[in-house]
Amino acid sequence: MSIDAERLKLPLARPNVLDLAPLYEVLRREAPIAPVTTPAGDPAWLVTRFEEVRLLLGDKRFGRSHPEPDKASRISTSAVQDGPTGEYATEEADHTRMRRLLTPAFSAKRMRMLGDNMEELVDACIDQLIAEHERTGVVDLHHGLAFPLPVAMICRLLGVPQEDNEKFASLSERMAGTEIGEDAHKAREEFFGYMVGLVESKRGALGEDVISDLVRAQAEDPSFDYVQMVRLCVGLLFAGHETTVNRIGLGVLFLLTERSRWDALVADPDGRVDAVVEEVMRLGAPGDLGLLRYAREDVDLAGVTIHAGDALVLSINAANRDVSVYTDAEEFNPDRPERTHLGFGHGAHFCIGASLARTELRVVFAALAKRLPEMRLAKELDQLQVRATLTGGVAELPVTWRSA
Amino acid sequence: MNIEVDQGKCVGAGQCVLAADDVFDQRDDDGLVDLLNAHPPAERLADVRHAAAVCPASAIAVSE
Repeated sequence: MSIDAERLKLPLARPNVLDLAPLYEVLRREAPIAPVTTPAGDPAWLVTRFEEVRLLLGDKRFGRSHPEPDKASRISTSAVQDGPTGEYATEEADHTRMRRLLTPAFSAKRMRMLGDNMEELVDACIDQLIAEHERTGVVDLHHGLAFPLPVAMICRLLGVPQEDNEKFASLSERMAGTEIGEDAHKAREEFFGYMVGLVESKRGALGEDVISDLVRAQAEDPSFDYVQMVRLCVGLLFAGHETTVNRIGLGVLFLLTERSRWDALVADPDGRVDAVVEEVMRLGAPGDLGLLRYAREDVDLAGVTIHAGDALVLSINAANRDVSVYTDAEEFNPDRPERTHLGFGHGAHFCIGASLARTELRVVFAALAKRLPEMRLAKELDQLQVRATLTGGVAELPVTWRSA
Repeated sequence: MNIEVDQGKCVGAGQCVLAADDVFDQRDDDGLVDLLNAHPPAERLADVRHAAAVCPASAIAVSE
């Protein structure tokens, strides 16, 4: 197969929501940094091999901002990771300040302390699903569990009223939409407006939550821009539920489409759940693109010259299935010897919610295995509705535990 | 075993705490790494090496 005859157009079509385009394997082998055309029609580099993706994520010569944002390659028509963000001159300092502010609130210890609370929430969701199943015989795990748990947790951490969940979930979905054109950007503006309203309503009575912390920090620091602060709140609320909701869905699909995987977890939920979660983080491949970076200077790497200002799409999905790093890379195998992956990224932008997500995923999969061991999919994988958003995933997760 | 951590590099991801919470913690005020034990017993080596491997900032150095 020749891959340099013409510039590849992203996204590379995938066979289903769990597997990737076979072309990724060819790219990793023959053109680990390949010139492509983005869904928005602009040139970029697609990076597919673990080694280069990891290197680039940890390398300060690559950032999220661009010296001339208007001239930068656009990635998609969605309003998330669609182009450069932040100020080119102050990017690193701005980012460091933001991490300092937020890191304590998302620390591993604090997230672990939330675990008991999550268990209660998950149990309540499952109680409700069981009651519904008695009436209907089929229930939707997406609406009954995958969505409400991450939403409840991020609302509590950020100090967002939970009754707003339909509003911000719908805004998030539109903002990440890849097939709705300009409406994605309109949704981003609406989300911004919603957040300004929330921030201002909290200002008079700041509490013990992350948005209150940010409002305080912004009020005290003249160099902390108001718009930047509101955008950060939007980003946290978006990323704090969207990603985990999808990951729970993908994990359930990996486990239930091959019975032996599910049975192994059911046999020893507490002993096996951590490894299952890491494998779901490695193999689960939400969305069809990757993380976006812009080169801050010219860099020679893997046989190509990347010029300052060039856009790079770092395919976490492809890197996490690199056969030079993982034995039987495409296999779902929680017992594999390789224990690291790039599912939460790497380097300075490593997912700040990683400990929160891990705790949520562990609680969810352990509880499902313990309480619904007979659970199976009520629809074929190919019939499930896939979401046309940057973050991908499924819109429904119908399951049953009726005797067949 | 000897462990060194670089707080200048640390990004506060907390991966080391999940890997070995008897050796690493995060400071309450800024979330950066807090080395609880620079010389843990040899049987902790596997978890400590794992902590160093998963650190997204390569801020942990381990020597035997």
